[in-house]
Amino acid sequence: MLDLFKNMVKEEWRMHSTMFGGLSFALFPVMIFGIAFMSSFLLPLLRTSLPAGNIALMTHASFLMLGFMVGAFGLLGNEVMNRRFGQASLLAYSARSLPLSGRFIFTNFVVKDLIYYFFLWVFPFGLGYILASPFVGVPLAAALLLLLTLTLAFLSGLCTVFFLSTIYSRSRALLWLLVLLLGAGCGTIVAVTGTNPALFFPPLLLYLSFSWTAFLVTCTVLVLLFAVSIVLFDPQETEKNRETGNAFRPLLVRFAFLPNPSLAAKDMIDLYRSGSIIGQTLFSFVIPLAVIWFFLSLLAPIFPPHGLILMYAIVAGVIASTMYTWVTMFDAFGSYSCLPVAVSTLIAGKVTTFSLLQVVPAVFIAAVAILAGEIPNLVPAVVLCLAVSFYAAGIMVWLTGLSPNVLVYDVKVLFVYLFLVGIALTLFTAIAFANPLFALSSVILFLPAWLFVRKAKVKWDAVDPAGF
Amino acid sequence: MSVILEAKDLSKVYGEVTAVNSVSLAVKEGALFGLLGPNGSGKTTMIKMLTGQIRPTGGSAMVLGLDVEKDPVGVRAQVGIIPEQETPPSFLTAIEYLEFVGAVRKIPDIGEKADWWFDFLEFRDKKNVLCKDLSRGTRQKLMFAQAFIHEPALALIDEPLINFDPIMQDLVKDYLAGYVKNGRTIFISTHILEVAEEICSEFAILHKGSLLHTGPVADLTARNEHLSSFFLSLVRKDRHA
Repeated sequence: MLDLFKNMVKEEWRMHSTMFGGLSFALFPVMIFGIAFMSSFLLPLLRTSLPAGNIALMTHASFLMLGFMVGAFGLLGNEVMNRRFGQASLLAYSARSLPLSGRFIFTNFVVKDLIYYFFLWVFPFGLGYILASPFVGVPLAAALLLLLTLTLAFLSGLCTVFFLSTIYSRSRALLWLLVLLLGAGCGTIVAVTGTNPALFFPPLLLYLSFSWTAFLVTCTVLVLLFAVSIVLFDPQETEKNRETGNAFRPLLVRFAFLPNPSLAAKDMIDLYRSGSIIGQTLFSFVIPLAVIWFFLSLLAPIFPPHGLILMYAIVAGVIASTMYTWVTMFDAFGSYSCLPVAVSTLIAGKVTTFSLLQVVPAVFIAAVAILAGEIPNLVPAVVLCLAVSFYAAGIMVWLTGLSPNVLVYDVKVLFVYLFLVGIALTLFTAIAFANPLFALSSVILFLPAWLFVRKAKVKWDAVDPAGF
Repeated sequence: MSVILEAKDLSKVYGEVTAVNSVSLAVKEGALFGLLGPNGSGKTTMIKMLTGQIRPTGGSAMVLGLDVEKDPVGVRAQVGIIPEQETPPSFLTAIEYLEFVGAVRKIPDIGEKADWWFDFLEFRDKKNVLCKDLSRGTRQKLMFAQAFIHEPALALIDEPLINFDPIMQDLVKDYLAGYVKNGRTIFISTHILEVAEEICSEFAILHKGSLLHTGPVADLTARNEHLSSFFLSLVRKDRHA
């Protein structure tokens, strides 16, 4: 077990460092550490306008989201590993050549990812806060506790989505039932206690009031969720030689109005047949945003009137921009290398498919606005969400071309992305908070988004397409 | 016969590794040209440069009158390519993939042409199976079909027979021989010398990225020499040089 695990960690490190250069990748946790360390010095300032509990709430929610993003291992079964790294040959595919079962290799893969991401994201963040704590008047014990509870928040997101995605791969009906039960449970909590369910998030409760019993219960639940997911994971390959009807021809006709109908039709088929169109929408969009709603609504008192729906639209826009990774995850340029297709054409095709997918956030935000009684702000919220999504996606396309999944760990790329997105978000949050109707001005973000995509086409046509 | 493909001092350097070192060669129209070399000799890199998949770091190449560096997409529109590893998209079926190729290449009557290939390469029973579920051999058949479905004037094939069974190899060899008889040109890269000797009219030997020899197979036949012994003596000599 240990040998396989150690080699998988080595493999993951070498793959990332080969892609970005050892130093650039090694700097990633250093950057997270630096952000946490320096942000800690802003705490005394933040506390003057924001209660300490709210800062803890936001931090725990962020790490819960990180866990959500990392955790959908069960979604595509065996292909979940392949889709991240394209054609790379990994130990994870060694079930046939090593005397090890598929489930055993997969367990190692998941544990490896879990520990790997812990050291990549969670630990550097916690360490930054721990080392800054003496300078900002935070007791060391509280800083250590934060590292512990952030780890638990990350694991909560990871184990929950891992569990749900494994259920999804077994039975979609059962998943819907579980999601409905969870939704009903949250609704009952709100109806009976009048309390926001996010306040019952165990890692947050532990941070606010630590007890060994609560800690052990939280750990037990996480271990159980993880173990059940591993048991339920089905490493068997899907039935071979199953015949499938021709979906390409009708889609080609339906998308005839688009600039690259064949590319859009292929992308849509990829998304549908891989299970991603539903799976990703659920695990990478709807569920994270449902959880974010509960956490964000706790901050409503510090927002101006109608600020919650607009803030929510901005967050949804950022998450919707990651749909660009959905449309790029299934093929490397290699699939097109024997065809007369330039990288820029492929980028244009992916952006077209991404644009089609933006129906999902538009409908979602409209539905939330209606349910939240914010009908007058429905249009500004939808415009803001889509403008942020296209803007952030445009930057992603410019910086990473066709490989947004892996290039996010290039520290230089991530820094530029965070900087450019951060400026726009800060500006348009302030504008939208000043007057909800002003949020309509965010439509101007479509212009830089278009310019970034244009620059991306020139930039990525000029370099040899990478294997990843 | 006019020159249909010409490389002049073509080079590709990756960091400190020289994959292809100043290679010059010319392929005439109607030839079945074999680029031979041991593993890692630079054959795949050559094909990638000649088809505009990667850019040369030195020299130039013209394919069907087009500069591969200036108009890589134009080159790929004119030629047929079978890459080293078969890579049809996972979630399309075999027929959908050929229709996708037809749409990208704007081929009329793609349905009829695809049907011909399913029958010719004997995989009609797999036409509605997802590419990810196809065997390597069937994927190779599919890649073969996509490379020739638009009847290109020049086809560049990396290891043409590698995943085929002996019966299919025979069928494909006959097809390639017939294809060049019709005035079209084929450029293959392989390290299977028996195949090259059997089907190629001209050949070049690449070793450690450098060109060791280029010429007609008939010259060897005239000297009563086999391609395999000629190849081995040249490569061994170069290894000790």
